This record gives sequence, structure tokens and C-alpha cells, in this order.
Amino acid sequence: MTNRHNEVRRAFLHALQSHQVHEAIGLARLLFEENAPLRECMFIRKCIEKNIGEANAFPVVRVALLSSFSLEFIHDALIAVGFLSGLCVRIYQPGFAQFRQEILNPASGMYAFHPDVTILAVEGKHIAPDLYKNYLDRSEQELEAIKQEVASEINSLIEIFRKNIEGTLLIHNFAAPEFPELGILDGQLKKGQIQIIGELNSSLYQLAQQQGVFIVNYQSLVNRFGYTQWFDKKLEYYAQAPVAQLMLPNLASEYAKYFRALKGLSKKCLVVDLDNTLWGGIVGEDGPNGIKLNHQYPGSAFIEFQEAIFALYKRGIILAIASKNNPEDVDEVFESHPNMLLKKDHFASMEINWNPKSESIKKIAKGLNISLEHMVFVDDNPVECEQVREALPTVSVIHLGKQPEHFVNLLSKEGLFDTISFSLEDRSRSQLYKQRAQSEELKNSSASLEDFYRNLKMSVCFMPINEESLVRAAQLTQKTNQFNLTTIRYTEVDIAERMRDSNWVLRTVQVKDRYGDNGIVGLVMTKKEKEQLSIDTFLLSCRVIGRTIETAMLAFILKIAKTENFHSVVGKIIPTQKNVPARDFYRQHNFKLVEGSESGWSTWQYAVGKDLIPYPDWFAIAENDS
Amino acid sequence: MEEKIKELLVEILNIDLSSIDEATSMDNTASWDSMNHLNICFSLEQEFGISLEVDEMESMISFYDIIRVVEKKM
Repeated sequence: MTNRHNEVRRAFLHALQSHQVHEAIGLARLLFEENAPLRECMFIRKCIEKNIGEANAFPVVRVALLSSFSLEFIHDALIAVGFLSGLCVRIYQPGFAQFRQEILNPASGMYAFHPDVTILAVEGKHIAPDLYKNYLDRSEQELEAIKQEVASEINSLIEIFRKNIEGTLLIHNFAAPEFPELGILDGQLKKGQIQIIGELNSSLYQLAQQQGVFIVNYQSLVNRFGYTQWFDKKLEYYAQAPVAQLMLPNLASEYAKYFRALKGLSKKCLVVDLDNTLWGGIVGEDGPNGIKLNHQYPGSAFIEFQEAIFALYKRGIILAIASKNNPEDVDEVFESHPNMLLKKDHFASMEINWNPKSESIKKIAKGLNISLEHMVFVDDNPVECEQVREALPTVSVIHLGKQPEHFVNLLSKEGLFDTISFSLEDRSRSQLYKQRAQSEELKNSSASLEDFYRNLKMSVCFMPINEESLVRAAQLTQKTNQFNLTTIRYTEVDIAERMRDSNWVLRTVQVKDRYGDNGIVGLVMTKKEKEQLSIDTFLLSCRVIGRTIETAMLAFILKIAKTENFHSVVGKIIPTQKNVPARDFYRQHNFKLVEGSESGWSTWQYAVGKDLIPYPDWFAIAENDS
Repeated sequence: MEEKIKELLVEILNIDLSSIDEATSMDNTASWDSMNHLNICFSLEQEFGISLEVDEMESMISFYDIIRVVEKKM
């Protein structure tokens, strides 16, 4: 171990001991990148267990590992990678090859563990040996039958799992054999080995079209690293552990993408530098025509990087710029450079000045109302990266370095922006944030707040959750942090179950204004309990906070309570680090505190009488019950 | 090399550096179970850039044996 490495280890331990967790995460990332990852994983895990133990503030993810091979060696990596993501991973691992029993037996340890995520890591040759080993003994019809049998076994495992438990299920797809029995001829056959495993994988994807089941693309992971690196024959025979030790952190990282998405930790905003990041060279020195952005290397690599960023934009990631430059130079590039794929319009916020980048990022976060921990910053300059890392430890920093051909890989490999759902709202999110910035401007120009609300010409539509809005509803519970009274996270499965239960009243809130359709931005989930209507979930996306939509939502609930003759409406406030804007909500709306304290959990009640909180009169309201 | 190996054992087995001598073995160290034995093997392979044969892995059951095998491989 080098001295530098020992220093980082010491700093990491120190940060942990002084409870500076975000600093500790930053240092752990350095350790992880620098050295033999397995030893670091073990070191990180031991330090966490010794110094923060159970008492950390991280969200807990309970993971059940069901496998057809020995997967114990991944535990250190899984815990370390979880820590890097700000998660506390707890693991349940039955003996290997127990996956069937664990799922089939309702009294199994796995069900008793109540996992949030269950991973079914089964190697193709273990569940379908005949497709891998005795291929040449089988006729085409037999192969087809075997394939269908395997698919239907997995289908019934999923069904039984679903009957017993609500958590998320991740299923590995299958890596085709490295050496097909017929060698180069395999590709010519109608049912070649590679082909038939491909068909089996396709049927897995069909099975995963149900809520809460996801396919881990194991085949593509193996391909990315290569069969020779991924598998370790010695270990396979010696310890029934076919995945090479060095590859386990990569497998753990793949799982962590799902954990982050489930726990609402997906990143939402990408802040980019400009010089030597979006283009080669320095515009202030080389001039707008001298920068490298064309179809020859290195210009071509920068174009490729812009394409990757543009794809993030299209999937709803908010883009922003933090660059030390003269605004006029940058304007000229945006306006006149023929190869600029990214336009000014794609960026919701631009900080082009000579301030420290950390200041610019803070300003961007404030203007867009996004918390720092949902932001990723990329820069080619190690000093700028270090400055941001130190000043804003919750921001994820990616140091791009000097070789633009690696930028796309560096930005993409961790899947920081990955989510487990994709809705219509996502496609246009960046536009919506831009609208929000515009309406902030309107707020400044309107004489009174009330004028501002009127000028917005808002309409609000309350709709029962349906098949189309289910994804979005679950996503809102997973991702909304600020205006969220209880912050209960629900999966699609959870919500679907409540949709079938007539005691629940579930409504999405869709808002339009003069700038466009904001889509579904709010959710209320209430439950009928004898004489009272109880508010379980009440949340509003941060981009539309501060427009009295929350008051309209409450008015809606009170109206239901009155129509259905409930005596009172009750609601809880569960404080989190993030939901400060929501804490005073019930008090402001004349609810009475019935239980709890100002700072901790509290329960509030509103007696349903003659006078109810009305809809603010600047809204057009639509209540749609069908 | 011996120091490096000791460092590895301390880390993996959670034991004191001062407690390690040639006789430290699977038999007299509770935390040196089969799982940690493999962890020791992987770490040695990564640390010294060697590839251990199964026979060697099975023979390295004490600090003394580890040194003997690693020396031979390097």
C-alpha cells in the first residue's frame, strides 16, 4: 500500500469517527477507485461496522441474496458500495442453491427477513443444464420444450413470491455459453445455443412486465468485462463461486443502481463545466472557432460526450452549467458553432462567471429548488473537482481527466441517474424546470402574491390513480422529499394493492398553468377509518411548491370528508431531514395538534364542520371520479 | 514481504499484529475459518500478483506455510 493510500484510509476513518459521513463517502470513493477493490471493501465494511454500526442515519435496504452458486463473497462489496450510495445494506443469504426452497416455503428465512429487494442470481447452466452442456444430444423440439419449461418455472417462482411478499424482485438474465458446442457453426443454426439462451432471456423480459420485477442484465455485465475476466474457473470448482473476486464489486454496483432508485436517491441534475468538457480547448483563449468540436479526434469525442448528455436531457435529467468564462464567449459558441449539439435551451440554469464552482452550484440548486445530494458535477479539472468535493460533500463529483474518449464511460458507468420507472412527465421535465424558472421571474414582477397566483392561470385536476398514472404515483412517493408530510415510499405493487381496497381514496394531482402542463405533480392517499378520514400520504413535487396547490389539495380532502360524512380528518407529520417546508402545513391550515411534539412525529386533526377550507379562488378545479 | 502478509492477516482476521508468529494457524485462530481462508488467498493473489494452485491454497494453513508458498511463487 502506498503512503497516499494509507493517508486516505486514515482520513476516511477519521471522518467516520467524527460522524462526517458525507466526507467519509467521498474518501471511500477514492479508496474504491484507487486500489484493490476487494480489500478496500472489507476495510470499508469493518470501519463502518466498528464506528457507526446500526446507528447511522442512512436509509436501510434489506437485501435477500438467492443464488444457484456461492455468493457470500459479495457481502463486503455490497455493503461498501451501498455506503458509497448513502445506504445501509443488510443482507440475508441462505445456503447456495436454496433459491427454490426459499421462495416456495412461506415460512422460509427469506420471507421472515422481510427483504426490500430480493435478488435471484441463478446461472443459466444451473437452471437449464441441458441448454448448456448436452446441447448436441437434444432435438430442436426438445430444446424448445426445455426452454419453455425453464421460463415457466421462473414464472411460477415469481407468482409464489408475489403471493407472499411485496418487495422488489431482481432476476439475473442468463449469460450464453462462452464456447458453444458447435463453435462457429452455432450462429448458422435455427436453434443455436446462443440463440436459444437469447430466446430464454426474451421470455424473462416478458415475465418482468409485471410490477416490481426487474431483470438484471447479467449477460451484458459479463460482456462488458469479458468472460475471461468475469469467471474464475478455479473458484468455481474449489468454492462453487464462479464469479471472479475482482468482478464482485462490479456486480454489487449493478445491484446498487436499483437500491438507489428504490430509495429515491437517483440523481436529478447534471452540472457541467464547459472548456475541455463540452468541447476541447478554452474558448476564452482559442476563440469560438478554435475550440475542438468536429468530426476528428479529439473534437469527435467531445461530440460523443454531448450526445450522451443530450440523452440524459431527453430522459428528464435537468442540465446546468457551472463554468469560469466570459458569458459573451460562451454565448457565441452556443449561437454560432455548427457542431454544438447542446443548445442554451437545454440548460435550466447557467452560471458563467469567475466565482468558485461550489458557489455556482449552490446558486443553481437554489434557483431550481433541487437539493445538492441530487446533483452530479463533471469537470476535467482536478482542482475544481476537489474544491466542489470539499465545499459541497453531498454533491457527486466526477473527475473527467484529460482523455475525452473516456468521458461517456465515466459519466455512465455508475448509473447515477438510473430510475426504476420512466413516465411521460420525465420526458419533459427539463422543460418544466425551465418553466419554473420563468414563473419565478413572474413572481418577481407581480405586484402581490395573489396577483401572481392569478396570473399563473392554474388549473388543478384530481384523478383516481389508474393504470397509466400508477408508475408516476409510485415514483412520486419514491422521489419527493421536500413537500412530503410522511415520506412513506411505495412501490407500484404497494399502490396497486391499495387501488383494489375500497377503504383507500387515492388521487393524483395534475397542474396546468399559463406556461404549460406540469403533468402529475402531487399525490394524496387517504384511508377511511370509522368516523375519520386519515391522510396517509400528501405530497407535492418541489417544482410547484409555493403556489397554494397544497391548500387546494387539502380543500379537496375536506370536501370528500364532508360529502361522505366523516367527523374529522387526521394527518401525521413525520419529520425528515428534507421535509422542513412541510412541517407547518397542518398548523397553517388550522388543524389542531392532538399528539406528539413540534419536532418529532405529530398527529393533527380537523373537525369537519360547516365551514371548510375552500379552494383558493384562483384555481380552476376539476374533480374526475372515473 | 512478511510484513505485508502480516498486514493482510491483521485486516482479514481482526487480530493484533503482535500476536502473529510462525505458529499462527487455522487451528489456533478462531476467525481463520474457511471463508476467511479464501479471503486470504484472494488478497495474496492480488497483493503479490500471483495465481495460487488449489493444492497450494489447501496447504497454506499457517503464517509459516503462507510465507513458504508465496516465496516459492515469486
